[in-house]
Amino acid sequence: MTRVTTSLVPTVRPRRAKSGLRRLGQVLTPVWLPLLLIAVWWFATANSTSPFFPPLGDILVDTWNQWVVFGAWTNAVVSVRNLLIGYVFGTLIGIIGGSLLWRLRYLRVAMNPIIYFLYVLPAPALLPAMIAIFGIGDMRQIALIALGSIWPTLLNTLDGMRGVDTVKFDTAKALRLGGWRTYFRLVLPGAGPQIAAGLRASLTVGIVLMVVSEMVAANSGIGFFILQAQAEFAIKKMWTGILVLALIGTVLNYLFVFIERRALRWYYRSRALGSS
Amino acid sequence: MRRNPHAWLNWALPLITVVAVLAFWQAITVGGIVSPAQFPTMSDTMGALAGEVASGRVWPAIGATLIGWLIGMVITIVLGLIIGTALAFNGFAQRSAAPVIEIFKAIPAIAILPLVILVAGSTLPMKVFLVCFAAFWPFLIQVIYGVRSMDPIVLDTARALGIRGARRFLAISIPSSSPYLVTGMRIASAQALILCIVAEIVGGAAGIGRNILLAQNSGVVAYPTMYAYIIVAGILGVALTGAFFLLEKRVMHWHESQRNIRASNVVGAA
Amino acid sequence: MSIATAVPTATETVLAVDGLRKIYDEGTDHANMAIDTVSFEVDKGEFVCIVGPSGAGKTTLLRCISGLASPSAGTVAFEGRPLSGVPEQLGLVFQDYSRSLYPWFTNGDNVALPLSARGMPRAERAARVTETLEAVGLGHVAKKYPWELSGGMQQRVAIARALSYRPELLLMDEPFASVDAQTRFDLEDLILKVRRELGITVVLVTHDIDEAIYLGDRIVVLSKNPSVVREIVEVQFGSERSQVETRSSPEFLELRNHLLSLVMPKDV
Repeated sequence: MTRVTTSLVPTVRPRRAKSGLRRLGQVLTPVWLPLLLIAVWWFATANSTSPFFPPLGDILVDTWNQWVVFGAWTNAVVSVRNLLIGYVFGTLIGIIGGSLLWRLRYLRVAMNPIIYFLYVLPAPALLPAMIAIFGIGDMRQIALIALGSIWPTLLNTLDGMRGVDTVKFDTAKALRLGGWRTYFRLVLPGAGPQIAAGLRASLTVGIVLMVVSEMVAANSGIGFFILQAQAEFAIKKMWTGILVLALIGTVLNYLFVFIERRALRWYYRSRALGSS
Repeated sequence: MRRNPHAWLNWALPLITVVAVLAFWQAITVGGIVSPAQFPTMSDTMGALAGEVASGRVWPAIGATLIGWLIGMVITIVLGLIIGTALAFNGFAQRSAAPVIEIFKAIPAIAILPLVILVAGSTLPMKVFLVCFAAFWPFLIQVIYGVRSMDPIVLDTARALGIRGARRFLAISIPSSSPYLVTGMRIASAQALILCIVAEIVGGAAGIGRNILLAQNSGVVAYPTMYAYIIVAGILGVALTGAFFLLEKRVMHWHESQRNIRASNVVGAA
Repeated sequence: MSIATAVPTATETVLAVDGLRKIYDEGTDHANMAIDTVSFEVDKGEFVCIVGPSGAGKTTLLRCISGLASPSAGTVAFEGRPLSGVPEQLGLVFQDYSRSLYPWFTNGDNVALPLSARGMPRAERAARVTETLEAVGLGHVAKKYPWELSGGMQQRVAIARALSYRPELLLMDEPFASVDAQTRFDLEDLILKVRRELGITVVLVTHDIDEAIYLGDRIVVLSKNPSVVREIVEVQFGSERSQVETRSSPEFLELRNHLLSLVMPKDV
């Protein structure tokens, strides 16, 4: 079974101080390539005549103008707010649903094909249906995001709970923990790393759905901003939207990893020490 | 002989549930609890689905979606295997590339969709580019993990036997890391399908997604067709992802047995 | 203050196993009788060891007498009452401490787990945790995590966890099999000391005959499966034992030979 997180960001291990040069190398290694790529982008487009790839410098200036000065940041706020509401709602249902399916074997057997079908159904395909039901407006965004966020979390929750060691369950019986205590103090933490992987996948799906929903029959949000700019052939403005969206996506992901690494400190530290 | 008296439930329960869900769908739509303006009846939807199949309209749509998926997957897998293996064998390159990979993975491919449409129009190349942009990074990460997880003894043996380069890559690296590779392909496949649908709904490329949107735009009378195509999208997901899930199981099974054989070879030399 | 080291005059039966039988997959054509008929009693304050050849169903027996598994036939009575689930006054220590301790809790929290399940208030819990950890020689590890400790120390934490709520009976399933020999001796002495100080009754399953003789007051010898009790051997060493002296005494050797002949596979 592939192990949980799919992030290449290394676990920080406490290390003894090394020689100055080595430490410099350690700091520079993850940084030089991104910087190089940005530099290449900058210089390659500096004197660009292509309408689709304006100079990076101009884009950056325009980002400031559009998003800070002209107040386009309200789009970002709307988008992220919808995303968070939908995500929290969807993943909560996913965790509760996964827990129920873990607990009730016959329910799991019965619902298996339906849940599997909904998991592999590409969530964006539901957008037109959401338009039909909710029309235009935030509710539609939130509903679509929630609907899409459920499945990765649900399946990973179920999987994670089923993978908890039976010896730990024997221990719980031996200590007479009882049903609820066993759930909150054994099953949930035990499945924690796998649930986190599901939450991460749900976040990715949520972000995609957020943007998709804003690009079809919408009137606010980052996706709407980008598409609008494209329709107006305001290429630089469009690029600023792309940059901001890329930035938000990256920030959300790093934020997630940061929170995950802290919440599952026990897991990452125990793996760093070599025990499984 | 009583082996498992409840084995029949494993297929009966799901079947009954599916039938029950369909019946429930029919009941609440026909009974008027849900407005037909928002949600068509089950019978109408199934009828529309049958109609699309019978009239042959469904096949070009599936074909258009699949061809984008296929080309995108091939490019992703080939590039991913080559670059991923190269990175995995060189620690410095991998540490340098890691942040870039993570950043690109975090950018939703749909963000650049408007740009790509400007450059390439609502065409197949546009779809393929977006598919690759989305599927490449998660697959690459899995390839790197897979190659890095290789048994060092296998690598040492290869080195001792003088197997290098492309030979080592094909004959050793790929089979050894196959569980990760197949998992990566499954993830890539799911991403690819999603981006195909997105390119069709938002970008107007030909395919199932476009049919769904067209049906919705045509108004309430076409809603059954819309849901029919949504179901088709789901079936496609089942077929593609399901195929990779099955492949994953077989590869893991083979891999586990191989690892057990290797382990017992090490131990049982007496 | 240690309790009387002589055999207690008023004996109270803590555990009574009568005609225990366990068959896996009963009624199918691959039914497996792990335990045929096992009967024995454990009195208060005793240290009983269960030994047998590998495959003798020792772990199955332990699961049945702990309430984790239910027997196919026969009865198990704990403090006079038949078992229904794991009794409250029972402590269990498993062989594999790394799989039994919860890695997301600190050692202190692991030990406190059964206490909070029994509704002990927080301040009292903290005090009991400290007390129990000190009793197993680990006073300073409460804030650390199990995986930060060595194998022997982890098993001590597991023992502390089992003892924290002062059970009447402690069941141990090959508890020292997963640690190295030196640590094993330390842990054996620890369990003797703890038993002396707390006055608990112990039933310990082991495949190590030397360990069984060193620790036990009585040894229940199981046969290969389907298991029956081959013999119950009395150990006459009393409660003052030392690794060096006791193990080299002629009585030890005699017992050892006797038990080996019972346990070792024959050409039957």
